Amino acid sequence: MGQAVLEIKNMHKAFGPTIALKNVDITLRRGEIRGLVGENGSGKSTIMSIASGMQPATSGEMRYKGNVWKPSSMIEAQEAGISMILQEANTIPGVTVAQNIFAGHEKEFSKFGIINMRKMYAAADKLLQDFGISHIRAADMINKYNFEDRKLIEIVRCVNEKTEILVVDETTTALSLEGREILYKLIHRMAEKENKTVVFVSHDMDEILEHCSVLTVLRDGDIVGELSREEMDAPGAVQKIRYLMVGREIGEKYYREDYDSSHQDEVALELQNITIGPIHNFSLKLHKGQIIGFGGLSGCGMHEIGRAAYGIDKLDAGKVLRNGREIKNPQTAIESGIGYISKNRDLEALILEAPIQDNIVLPSLPTLQKKGIITPASEKKMSDQEIESFRIKCGSGKQLVNTLSGGNKQKVSFAKWEAKNSEVIIMDCPTRGVDIGVKQSMYALIEQMKKEGKAILMISEELSELIGMVDELIIMKDFQVTKEFVRSKDLKQTDIIEYMI
Amino acid sequence: MKDQKMAGWLSRHRSILISYGGLIFCIAFFTIVTPIRGESIWSASKVSTLISDMIVTALMSVGAVFIYALGNLDISIGKQIGLYAVIMVVLGNMTGSLIPPVLLCIVLSVLIAVVNGGAGPMFNIIPIIPSVVISQVLSGTITIIFAKMGTRSITLKTIDYRIFKSPVVMVVVLAAEVAIAVLLFNYTKIGKYAKALGQNKTAAVQSGINVIKYRIICYIFAGLCFVVAALFQMGYTGSASDSTGTGFEMNIMIALILGGMPISGGMRSKVSAAVVGALTFSLLDVGLPLIGIATRTTFIVKAIIFLIVVLMTSRKKEGTLPK
Repeated sequence: MGQAVLEIKNMHKAFGPTIALKNVDITLRRGEIRGLVGENGSGKSTIMSIASGMQPATSGEMRYKGNVWKPSSMIEAQEAGISMILQEANTIPGVTVAQNIFAGHEKEFSKFGIINMRKMYAAADKLLQDFGISHIRAADMINKYNFEDRKLIEIVRCVNEKTEILVVDETTTALSLEGREILYKLIHRMAEKENKTVVFVSHDMDEILEHCSVLTVLRDGDIVGELSREEMDAPGAVQKIRYLMVGREIGEKYYREDYDSSHQDEVALELQNITIGPIHNFSLKLHKGQIIGFGGLSGCGMHEIGRAAYGIDKLDAGKVLRNGREIKNPQTAIESGIGYISKNRDLEALILEAPIQDNIVLPSLPTLQKKGIITPASEKKMSDQEIESFRIKCGSGKQLVNTLSGGNKQKVSFAKWEAKNSEVIIMDCPTRGVDIGVKQSMYALIEQMKKEGKAILMISEELSELIGMVDELIIMKDFQVTKEFVRSKDLKQTDIIEYMI
Repeated sequence: MKDQKMAGWLSRHRSILISYGGLIFCIAFFTIVTPIRGESIWSASKVSTLISDMIVTALMSVGAVFIYALGNLDISIGKQIGLYAVIMVVLGNMTGSLIPPVLLCIVLSVLIAVVNGGAGPMFNIIPIIPSVVISQVLSGTITIIFAKMGTRSITLKTIDYRIFKSPVVMVVVLAAEVAIAVLLFNYTKIGKYAKALGQNKTAAVQSGINVIKYRIICYIFAGLCFVVAALFQMGYTGSASDSTGTGFEMNIMIALILGGMPISGGMRSKVSAAVVGALTFSLLDVGLPLIGIATRTTFIVKAIIFLIVVLMTSRKKEGTLPK
């Protein structure tokens, strides 16, 4: 067992009447990759946000490298060696990659107040190389890069030779598969070669089990269990961890258990030779009662197909048809009974500043109106029905969506289309950033939809859920279909990955 | 626990408190102070001054709520009022009735609304730009009309316009306009879509909202309100000049913000902001001279109050300026 580097004793944190942490004790050691798991609101992010100076604890004590530790800011913590990569995007737009990486350290490159940009670019490029990131250039404007790449740039900025403890807070959900590999390599190098400490906060059971050397499970602000590597490898470990997290038996059933990939004959949605950007001549027939999955790396073109099928982006050629009607924009899509759940939940799927009710009824307003008038009672009735059937945890439908946890937000974006009674649902990363408890109910819902004869396009970066849920799986790479799989008991992730990379 | 609840309630309802609070404060303050200094603000003559001071701003602001909710700013409103007033006087004198000029103004207001509301998303430019262009075009048109007539001000001759000076008519028309606006804004797709578009356009589009159609509808309703406002602006004196309406768009902005309208539009937009704001604005207009503040100084006092309200309500991360 490595030497203790950070000791936390009796840490208590309250936000008004809400208690986030209840007198938690935890010791982080050198050379370990510590997993922190728990459902949304279990306090897993709170512990490390306190240790890394983002907020103070209400009470309790921390000792870092033997001394009392009370960071007043994230900068102070980072200087002292505790860096945290945050969930939210945190880069500065409108400047170069290098300027982002060295924000606050410009002095190292300046002489008489003038920054030697060439020197800065060279240093940043070298740093990017060291991290194994070859596709990002330091001299480029950051706006050129997508969300996933910016996250990588943030990682490069956070980690330096002074870093003793690296906290990775739900970062992998924001990364592409290549990005994740880079991050995994980094954390293993830090823990195993450099004898540093990594704290890995995540929802994703697969990745926790694969990479952590020790695992702490939290529930409702309490530590409810700690598992060693051996215990994680033991059979039944996943069930045990889920049980600890949820606090009740959630049952064996998670994904679909049948291997019946049959569907009705009627075509629900057809993509006819569509060409959009780098995607050429793509065709697809989605039938009633069928779930077609799309898998691949995030830049493979699968998200673009989802957007095209919903009429968001204009096609260069080809048609999207539903019952003979051409889908040209989201409005015609919705009118023809198609619903779309964007990958970008907070910016595209939901209006965060609006009440739950307004979000749920928004696509249904044309059907709610009688002689042009929409009564508050009809809106409330529709929304309350969905809040109840999805068990959205809230005080009332008047509550703003931005006060909800990730899982409950996602329930609202599903509820929109359930309320509208959409018959075709295009879901892009439907369980991103969602707890297992909620995931399980989402999977049950998707299965239910299939039984009701609804047609589903499921685009996902999580291979396990694709394998677990879809009838037909289309794998894409560089905007082309590389392989198609039919639902089967024998389908393994390893069979699929080679067609993605 | 109770304190925390109270604090939470306060922070949630801050903008409402400030807007209504400002109005309530003005009412209470002037009710108590003005009788001491001489004439009460609630004397019959002052109330009628108050109503006629407020009516045009209120009528315009109610319409402008639909534009502000979208997160937009219309620079051309003042010049629209100016043009409508000129048309009403000139064409009224020519035809001997206000009906033809009002119909012409309605047609013009719809055309302007189509440009102001539609050009932004159609040509992918920020929506304030078309309104700047419209403002310039209208300004030029007004200048040409007056240059042709060789005068800077014209008066209604044959038509009896006394009805527009009646405070009762003003209140009735305002009440009717507010009722229609509230209905459209809170109980139909128009207002609900406007708020959604103002708050998060991408999410609104993905929920099936036709951006151009509903933007234009919002601008059309606002335009109709501007025609009504122009009628009262012109009717108060029975005349129009080449400077009628100048700067009105700024009065609207001040009134809406005083009334608690979020400056960036969106979900928290409400029609009441127009009435509350216009009333607060006019109370200051009428009340400040009554308590002995020179008319020249009232502008500064109003500016300071405006600044305080903006600092208290709009200093949020998401509180971007309208476009």
